[in-house]
Amino acid sequence: MRFSVDSWAPDYGTSRSEQLADAVRPVDPSVEVAAQEWEPVSPSADSDVPSTVIFVDGIRRIDASVWIADSSGLDQPGVCATVAAGALRCSPGGASLDAVLVRRAIFTAADQAEALDLGGPMIYELRVVSAGTDEALYLAVHNYMTAVEHELSSGLDDDSMIVFDGPLGLRQGQNSAGYIKTQHVQYLDAEQQQIIGRLSPGQRTPLFHIGGDIPNWSWYLRLPSGGTGGHSMTGVVRVELPGLGDVASVAARADGLTAALPRFASEAHKDARAPQNLYPIAGLERELRRRLGDGRLLDRALRRRAADTHAA
Amino acid sequence: MAARPQQPMVGRVIGVDDATPLEFWVAVAPGHTLQLDDVVALERVLPTGEQVDIYGVVGQVRARHEGASFQSDVFLIAEGILPGEVSEAALIQPTRFEPEILLPPTPGSPVRLATEYERDTALSFDSVDRKLPAGLSRSDEPIFLDLDFVDGTKGAHINISGISGVATKTSYATFLLYSMFTSGALGAESANTRALIFNVKGEDLLFLDYPNRSLDSQADGVDQGRRYKALGLTPAPFRDVGIVAPPRKGDPNATPATGSRKTGVAPFFWTLADFCHQRLLPFLFADAEDERQQYTIVVQSVTAQLAQLEGTDDGAVRFENRLVRTFADLVDALEDKLSPTDADQSPDPRWTGRAVGSGTINAFIRRLASARRHVEHLLRADIADAQHHALDLDQHQVTVVDIHSLHDRAKRFVVGVVLRQAFEAKEASGSAKPLQFVVLDELNKYAPRDSSSPIKEILLDVAERGRSLGIILIGAQQTASEVERRVVANSAIRVVGRLDAAEARRDEYGFLPAVARARATILKPGSMYLSQPRLPVPLLVEFPFPAWATRPAEAGRSPIGGGGASASETGKIEAAEADPFSGLTS
Repeated sequence: MRFSVDSWAPDYGTSRSEQLADAVRPVDPSVEVAAQEWEPVSPSADSDVPSTVIFVDGIRRIDASVWIADSSGLDQPGVCATVAAGALRCSPGGASLDAVLVRRAIFTAADQAEALDLGGPMIYELRVVSAGTDEALYLAVHNYMTAVEHELSSGLDDDSMIVFDGPLGLRQGQNSAGYIKTQHVQYLDAEQQQIIGRLSPGQRTPLFHIGGDIPNWSWYLRLPSGGTGGHSMTGVVRVELPGLGDVASVAARADGLTAALPRFASEAHKDARAPQNLYPIAGLERELRRRLGDGRLLDRALRRRAADTHAA
Repeated sequence: MAARPQQPMVGRVIGVDDATPLEFWVAVAPGHTLQLDDVVALERVLPTGEQVDIYGVVGQVRARHEGASFQSDVFLIAEGILPGEVSEAALIQPTRFEPEILLPPTPGSPVRLATEYERDTALSFDSVDRKLPAGLSRSDEPIFLDLDFVDGTKGAHINISGISGVATKTSYATFLLYSMFTSGALGAESANTRALIFNVKGEDLLFLDYPNRSLDSQADGVDQGRRYKALGLTPAPFRDVGIVAPPRKGDPNATPATGSRKTGVAPFFWTLADFCHQRLLPFLFADAEDERQQYTIVVQSVTAQLAQLEGTDDGAVRFENRLVRTFADLVDALEDKLSPTDADQSPDPRWTGRAVGSGTINAFIRRLASARRHVEHLLRADIADAQHHALDLDQHQVTVVDIHSLHDRAKRFVVGVVLRQAFEAKEASGSAKPLQFVVLDELNKYAPRDSSSPIKEILLDVAERGRSLGIILIGAQQTASEVERRVVANSAIRVVGRLDAAEARRDEYGFLPAVARARATILKPGSMYLSQPRLPVPLLVEFPFPAWATRPAEAGRSPIGGGGASASETGKIEAAEADPFSGLTS
């Protein structure tokens, strides 16, 4: 029996969903090389490796689930959440936090909801949600976080490569790249998919184009994962770029990023999702989590305010 | 009150470590630094609106990476892969609360460096009327002692600990004396204030009246004149110094036995009449007060009998029918008296004490005989004009008694007798002022913790009653743990130079905080920790390089006759040991 242990800690699942969903967006694998000629690609030695990379990430935390009295006489569900987004500039000389945004909001469909000012930095703006279901609330918080990330990144006045944690979505800036560490969707046919398994650390697949409303260029690459004997998806991530430009220039940027990212790969004893959870992103998330503020303090302030509204 | 000095904020009180009125941590603001020994100030506003000013001294500083959880993260942070912030923090040991409301500072309070009058307030110099310059801080600002705690008004005595050579104990003692005499702190009294210095090692202190020729050639390039000036002092040798040394053994003229210094040294010794009438015999027996020793009865009886002997004008004594001129003669006479050659004749019980066995008498004689060769040149009546060689502590402002060449028994004898002379003179004068300072190194030898002797009793007397009598002891020793507790405990001012690592852990240095104890093991020569009753934390002081020679090699132009050192002196000087201040950089 030949087997491998996944490099991610079991709590986090694996970097590849057991059942990949089929892509709903049209995929063209024959943009760089013809689909039947796919082979692992090593970035060319003279590729332009960016020395400075800016990582942008956001986190969210539900501070409290709340029930808000409605004109219908029923209590409507809602959540109070804090989101934070930050940009970490990684240069050879040091990593510095370029910008951080922390926002709080109360999400609900209740018609009598209003913003909450609990004093100091504890201000929750109101975000009205169309429905009070768990899914709708969760999505609203997620979109709020993405919007804060977008606001943050559009404030970055820089030519450096900006790597977002997660798919690009609407963040289609010229220098943007999306970094996807967990694979849920199968974009390639089995024939090309097996090329991923043959990637050596530091190699990438040829580019493929993902169509749809907002098209992207994309490729897979394998990060060095320290140990030996990984499974076929060990250390594999997908990177996407905005669907702009010609293949040659995109391939050059893909080579540059493929060469730049391995240096940020984490090691298993330091990160439960090594190597895909890059050091800068883990460090940024840790810092952002700190900036969210003490959840117990917010909880206490919310409960106190809630009690006041009942007493009034 | 003067306007508060405008100092930028250097940090804020940390909230994740407990802040207490005894110590608290301050996070250092970016672009600023706090180093050990810096003096800081901050405020706290009470709910009543009243403001409490808090002052303190930096006792420890630390720096660490925030955002790193593994030691190897430091590489990732340095390479720009992981974000990590350097956080620097300083431990503040409060020195003063004004008004004295002992509250912790509020986390987040801005902290500034204390300068000008704030520094004086922080170190309580503002409330000191009579300031004695005691040295400089590491940033060359003056540090003072409250003279009230030196001269007996509120406390007295100074105790200095530190290992030999590096701790520069005696140099600091002489610096304090110099400061005392020339700073003006003593006012008009300073002219009549006297100091008695025992020179116990080498001929180091025999040149206090010589300028120090190493003063301007210090390798570190520090302008010593400027440092003296900062303290309000003028660098110069001691002005009025009398040096006395024991006579050369076997020399019928009793010329002083000094090697490197030939001029301006007087011999000292006691006549046999002094020895008998002043009851000096017990000082020859280091353990004479030890109750377990039987022969102490004999010592007491013989002392009493000797005091009744008739003296002659030239210092000899009449012992029955013989005229005794030398100590050897006296020992012989006592031997005959106590242990008659005729076996049938029993010794005189007035001399031996009652019911004393021959074994005990022999023990006394044995000890007396063994002391003979160590002290016979100090006890004699074979010199013309012998009375003029009696020690006069009033003749010069500083009297240096050289005992370094003497045997331990003779050293103890001289120290004990001279201290008693000083003590009795003070008792007789009935006035504490002007003060008499006594500088004595190697206190562990004269007041050891675990035994009793007449010398130790004198030192205890000085330590316990000297304050009211005006005798101030500046005592020094390598290890305070070996010195009688009461001698050290009675010292209002404690000074610590470089300490041995094992010694630094002893309870005797409990007044030093843990960090200061650790630092005491690496102190540079010329740096001391100074603990005074006014301040709850000891201060690190550096004293200027002595302007007077503290060893023969440093002696510049002779103050006597205006000439340089003689040829023979020069030879001696060059052969002398090298300057211990140099080459020690740790």
